[in-house]
Amino acid sequence: MSLLRVSWRNLWRNRRRTAITMSAIALNTLILITTYSLMGGFLKQTVRNVTQLATGEAQLHAPGYLSDRSLYKRIAHPRILLQALGEHSIGAAPRTYGYGLVSRGTKSAGALFQGVEPAMEAAAFELAGHLAQGTFLAPAARKGLVLGRKLAKSLNAEVGSEIVVLVQAADGSLGNDLFTVVGILGAVGEAIDRNAAMMHLDDFRQLFAMPEGIHEIAVNTRGRLPLDALVETLSRLAPGDEVRTWRRLLPTFSDMIELSGVSMSIFGAIFLIAAGLGVMNTMLMATYERAREFALQKALGATPWRIVRDVTFEAWLLACVATLFGTLAGLAASTILQTTGLNTASLAGETTISGVVFDPVWRADLTLRTVVWPVFMMWAVCVLAALYPAAMSARDMGSNLHFSHFLRAGPRSVCGTGRRRS
Amino acid sequence: MTTVNGGHCNTARTIPVVILLLALGISAGLDAYPVLAEELSARDILNKVDDLYRGTSSQGKMTMEVVTEHWKRTLSLEFWSRGKDRSLIRILAPLKEKGTATLRSGSDLWNYLPKVNRVIKLPSSMLSASWMGSHFTNDDLVKGSRFAEDYDFRISFQGMRDGQDVVELTCIPKPQAPVVWGKVEVVVRRSDYLPVATRYYDEGLRLARTMAFTHYRELSGRLLPTVMTLVPRDKPGEKTQIAYDEIRFDVVLSDDVFSLRNLQQ
Repeated sequence: MSLLRVSWRNLWRNRRRTAITMSAIALNTLILITTYSLMGGFLKQTVRNVTQLATGEAQLHAPGYLSDRSLYKRIAHPRILLQALGEHSIGAAPRTYGYGLVSRGTKSAGALFQGVEPAMEAAAFELAGHLAQGTFLAPAARKGLVLGRKLAKSLNAEVGSEIVVLVQAADGSLGNDLFTVVGILGAVGEAIDRNAAMMHLDDFRQLFAMPEGIHEIAVNTRGRLPLDALVETLSRLAPGDEVRTWRRLLPTFSDMIELSGVSMSIFGAIFLIAAGLGVMNTMLMATYERAREFALQKALGATPWRIVRDVTFEAWLLACVATLFGTLAGLAASTILQTTGLNTASLAGETTISGVVFDPVWRADLTLRTVVWPVFMMWAVCVLAALYPAAMSARDMGSNLHFSHFLRAGPRSVCGTGRRRS
Repeated sequence: MTTVNGGHCNTARTIPVVILLLALGISAGLDAYPVLAEELSARDILNKVDDLYRGTSSQGKMTMEVVTEHWKRTLSLEFWSRGKDRSLIRILAPLKEKGTATLRSGSDLWNYLPKVNRVIKLPSSMLSASWMGSHFTNDDLVKGSRFAEDYDFRISFQGMRDGQDVVELTCIPKPQAPVVWGKVEVVVRRSDYLPVATRYYDEGLRLARTMAFTHYRELSGRLLPTVMTLVPRDKPGEKTQIAYDEIRFDVVLSDDVFSLRNLQQ
């Protein structure tokens, strides 16, 4: 307790010095917290773009479906499975897929048709609200079509356009029909933008002569369940089907996220070192300034250990107060960045990473880790920065004059300047 | 394709397609390659085959049977062709698809869908897709006349095989050739140079599909193999079989036959 009181009083004996040091630490804490939360936000948002929009946190397929996306490899009892997922409060959307041709006038393109249950899709995912034009599919089958952005562009299609659809149905016949574009998706990712043609599941069944079965159940707990637990639950509920997390479904993207995480950590570490050096410099100067004071303490009988302890504790106390201010400022800045976000649209426009569209509004993600990590690092830097000069001071260097002389004239004056002439 | 000596010659790859789609009037040429005995004889054989199928136009009916792992269906087709790049194929049966038609005009492919009464143009990205649900691709319909420039060929076997005296020609695409196959082997009967089989290899030189020619009989005054069976290597048990029921050569066909308007009749 006395140590705390003494240290506290010591801190305020030289207010200017303490204020400068504290400002440096607080400012660096603020910058680190903000930077880390922005980095975390970037990664989280990118992953969210993938998982929440359409892919989901995980997907269920019939065994072997993903290897060839065969129309005939279907999940056998989707209704039972969807009901069970609902009971576990796991958001799920059933989907069917089939390749074919879309045509408007003289323009035509290959498309990946997707049969969806609009209500379930809207409840579990955000794609239904991610439209550039028009609306999402109606709850009942009305031969409506929602097209990917680039696919619509290549057909010169807009809301209300009539589209001729031609597919190879499951019975070998040529399924064909007229559909009307009801909506055009916003940017989602290269695959969806270029190929997606979504329709009501019942329309899909009729077009593809596929009265039953589905190809995919995409699940989304909105981060409520960790991936491992989700996989475990899904495997238990659907023992005969294949479970894949988004990381396995999108390995390139997953690797990119991992790599971004690593590169951001490296960037963060570099930033921390730079910040740490600044703080260390301030701390070193502050401690060196007190060389005479330490020498006097030694002369009065203080042990070296005690000097080191006092100085280190003072440094930590200083860091505590400074990081408290820095954290408060960092929390405020990050909260603003989390709610309002940084609009990068004017700088970079629409950015795609590994075929996934990145939201132009960059939001921070404030977590305990983004606060605790910088604070602890600043403490460590401060304590280390104080420890070295304190240890120097605590060493018995013969006389405090030597030390103060050393400070004035540099090391060579102490180490000697050559041989003594006889 | 007209060659120096004014004749048409078929490349190995196009032989099955030629026969399959006399309907499409595809006839391809083989250029005279460096004058070596082996290549000359190869060219002569292919010329012979080509001469056999060279009609300025044709019209007829055929039955296409497609067998896959999941379904089996039989289509009755009527076809018209003129020259190398104009053809029209219309489905007569089954009833569900009656009237559905494919028109090839130059390098363009159009489909008419009677159910919705619309014509759609096939994008180039769909060329590798199946034609009418068969194991033939749209590419098979529109390509095939360029192998004269794209392949080098030689006789790789002569003699008895499976009790038949045959000549085998191996065709290798030239390095810059825009060809999907790594190698094509054509086997003809030595007696009359009618095709027996064609084997298509992928770029890794693995056998991709085989076309067998059977049921040699006279149609419209020509002896022809009237049944062709295409078997994909990677789907055992699947096949597409085309049987010519009737064919007439050198019929007079006006431009209107190959018009978009006629496609919608």
